[in-house]
Amino acid sequence: FQAPLYHYIVEGLLVVWIIRLLFFKSYKIHDKVPLTTKEKDELIEDWEPEPLVPPLEETRAVSKPYRVVSGQPGKEIVVDGYKCKNFASLNFLGFVENERISKAATECVSKYGVGSCGPRGFYGSFDVHLELEKRIAKFTGTECAIIYSYGFATIASAIPSYSKRGDILYVDEACCFAIQKGVQASRSNVVYFKHNDMEDLESKLRHQEMLDKKDVKKSSVTRKFMVVEGIYMNTGEICDLPRLVDLKYKYKVRLFVEESLSFGVLGQHGRGVTEHYNIPVEKVDMMCGSMEYSLASTGGFCCGREYVIDHQRLTGLGYVFSASLPPLLACAAIEAIDIMEEE
Amino acid sequence: ARLNRIHSIFGTVDGLSGRFVSVFNYFKSLFYSKFMKPLRNGNVIHDEPPRKRFQEDFESTPLYIAVVTYINYGIMIVFGFLRDFLRRHGFEKTHASTEANDMKDFVPLYASFESFYTRNIYNRIQDVFNRPICSVPGPVIDIVERQFSKSGWMFKYTGKVLKNVVNLGSYNYLGFAENDGPCAEASIESIEKYGVGVCSSRKEMGNLDIHVKLEQKMAEYLDVEACLTFGMGFATNSMNIPCLVSKGCLIISDGLNHASLVLGCRLSGAQIRVFKHNDMKDLESKLRDAVVYGQPRTHRPWKKILIIVEGVYSMEGSIVNLPGILELKKKYKAYVFLDEAHSIGALGSRGRGVTEYFGIHPREVDIMMGTFTKSFGAAGGYIAGSRALVEHLRYHSHSACYATSMSPPVCEQIITSLHIISSTDEGKRRIKQLADNCRMFRQGLKKLGNIVYGNDDSPVVPAMIYAPTKLGAFSREMLKRGFGVVVVGFPATPIAESRVRFCISAALTEQQLQDALDAISDISDLLQMKYSKKK
Ligand SMILES: Cc1ncc(COP(=O)(O)O)c(C=O)c1O
Repeated sequence: FQAPLYHYIVEGLLVVWIIRLLFFKSYKIHDKVPLTTKEKDELIEDWEPEPLVPPLEETRAVSKPYRVVSGQPGKEIVVDGYKCKNFASLNFLGFVENERISKAATECVSKYGVGSCGPRGFYGSFDVHLELEKRIAKFTGTECAIIYSYGFATIASAIPSYSKRGDILYVDEACCFAIQKGVQASRSNVVYFKHNDMEDLESKLRHQEMLDKKDVKKSSVTRKFMVVEGIYMNTGEICDLPRLVDLKYKYKVRLFVEESLSFGVLGQHGRGVTEHYNIPVEKVDMMCGSMEYSLASTGGFCCGREYVIDHQRLTGLGYVFSASLPPLLACAAIEAIDIMEEE
Repeated sequence: ARLNRIHSIFGTVDGLSGRFVSVFNYFKSLFYSKFMKPLRNGNVIHDEPPRKRFQEDFESTPLYIAVVTYINYGIMIVFGFLRDFLRRHGFEKTHASTEANDMKDFVPLYASFESFYTRNIYNRIQDVFNRPICSVPGPVIDIVERQFSKSGWMFKYTGKVLKNVVNLGSYNYLGFAENDGPCAEASIESIEKYGVGVCSSRKEMGNLDIHVKLEQKMAEYLDVEACLTFGMGFATNSMNIPCLVSKGCLIISDGLNHASLVLGCRLSGAQIRVFKHNDMKDLESKLRDAVVYGQPRTHRPWKKILIIVEGVYSMEGSIVNLPGILELKKKYKAYVFLDEAHSIGALGSRGRGVTEYFGIHPREVDIMMGTFTKSFGAAGGYIAGSRALVEHLRYHSHSACYATSMSPPVCEQIITSLHIISSTDEGKRRIKQLADNCRMFRQGLKKLGNIVYGNDDSPVVPAMIYAPTKLGAFSREMLKRGFGVVVVGFPATPIAESRVRFCISAALTEQQLQDALDAISDISDLLQMKYSKKK
């Protein structure tokens, strides 16, 4: 343990230097050549910001006004005064005009009123929310489900609650906008693969596997996820779930499936793309869906194993920091699931 | 500040990369704020001429309470490590759910240290959160009783219901959470007419006549040119801020802004700087620096600067210093985004929010945002302002293009409650009742000797508890006496500033509030919570 004296001195100086670095403000150029107050005021006077938004005429020139729908947007629809057959809404099961659902919602208003007036944590959890979560879990055959008050916020909140900075997301390049926002909010590394191209995905996974072997320490804490859609909102194609499940176990990458469009549509009972391919739903780590299309209500849900899903109750931004789903919409969704099962 | 904390949890925003730096900064700021220069001391009264003077009150934490609180955490952390150790070695049964059997060789989904807080601190007071209710969230609620296991990990429903608990927690400011009366009737009628679902976005086939009507009424009410509504308040912020600012722009955000605003800022790609909560000096120095020095490294001037603030802060009960903000906005040519989630309907003599409260015309604020979840007893959010702004958002907002539009009965609830607020005596009565209730309750609490944060007129009344163990005790004792309250701790507040937050409603009677004060006095004695030195 004999070290020369200069060694101690150098190390001592280094320690002092580090402490100095930690506690002193960072070096700024403008500290060196201070501007006078007058110069600053002139700069402030000179600065002209861009307008907040483009002028009204410019916006008007590139856009059309919304069409106005009068009355119920069911299979018959009145658009801008024209009576039409409706080929545009995502009312797959025709639940918009369903009497039973309207009746359930009406009863719910007479019991709970309209708004929930609070987030789930603070007296915004209604018994009907808990029931709806149970019903969704039972219907999809998963352990548990969590509901959000807005379909769009569901996957966009779910992705960042698992995938953080440094993790890797494999995302289909044709994925819908909500997924893109979730991916962006997570700040993870994103790898886009060609639309529905399993070869391309596999080659990217293989490439990563090679990198992982080189840096075992890093790869042992890097979570990896694949995010796909059951039916792609942008192209209408169905994902190749059997191949994805193979890849999941082969490369140890978790699999999230966004089923907004496929829930209630694919499979014998409408359980979505897993039922369509006859794949046990446990093979998918998380299945997200929307209650805004087939179920003709509002909001979204995620379901899967309790180990995975429960985490969102403390970290899903759109779940924690927003008021819960109005109870009447939860009742409507419960009734819609009942009808799906019965009819 | 809270934003700093959120950033240190979710990563940093201001270009400093790496978790270490932000964690370090967090401790540094904690250190500075706690021991070097108390950020908040005593009454700050600025000289603002119009109608209302800006006032707020943040009594600083008594030193010995701060010390006790940290010791409190220390003990819990030591026991946490001990129990983690016992669980790891199989001496204590783990109740947490586990990974699927065929996925044990995957990279773990959660890092163990991330959930330390949940496992060892949150779980002990889990029973005071997420209490399920089975009635309208009005002045009294019915709570479904749960029985927790001793460890706090598991619960079962006893099958009993706690009836008529006085509700001091819901955001039911004007008392529109009702299951009968004009609002409920109108909503039911609209279910008959439209159904519940819309199944399409505003841009496609989801723009119903009822939405158009709501937007017109709302714009009239706020006295602005136009208004656009969305199905969720959270998404209104997080999906619209990116349409207004982008790379090359600067956002200057209040340190205590809501998570939805923070997310919106992050998604926008603009640079973000944070100023101390409601501190005009700090804001001015940030603005000045920004305009003078331009963008970092390139030193190009910023394209635009957007100041983001809230009307009433939901955890502090403070009201934004709007006159101060607008003065700086004019001086430095910045734009102002004002989130009125908790203030619309609840402040001002006619319920028009902070602008009315300060006697300022809403047109002076560039972007007026608010939610329908609170005072209106519905759901959703709006953005109001100039026609150019609203039309721009109508065609570019992510929310309007991709998200399903608001459900008709919810929309009808807003229209009806809006009508009552803006043009009936009943509405005036409710607004006055709310103001009276707030004053009475807040002054009552102060008289008891509790430390109460925020502005004297705000309907959000936070009273400080500090120690996390008292948090659970306070809520349980209140429930025993028939009052439902909201207690909040880390990470929604600074780590040593746990508090109880009362949300006052116009539907509560004076008697109920007096009873609540009596119960609080009782429990505050029990828990030694009368910290205030002012009394
Ligand atoms: C300031 C602020 N903005 C936005 C929101 C989100 O509104 P919503 O609950 O309607 O999603 C909240 C809700 O708590 C809030 O406090």
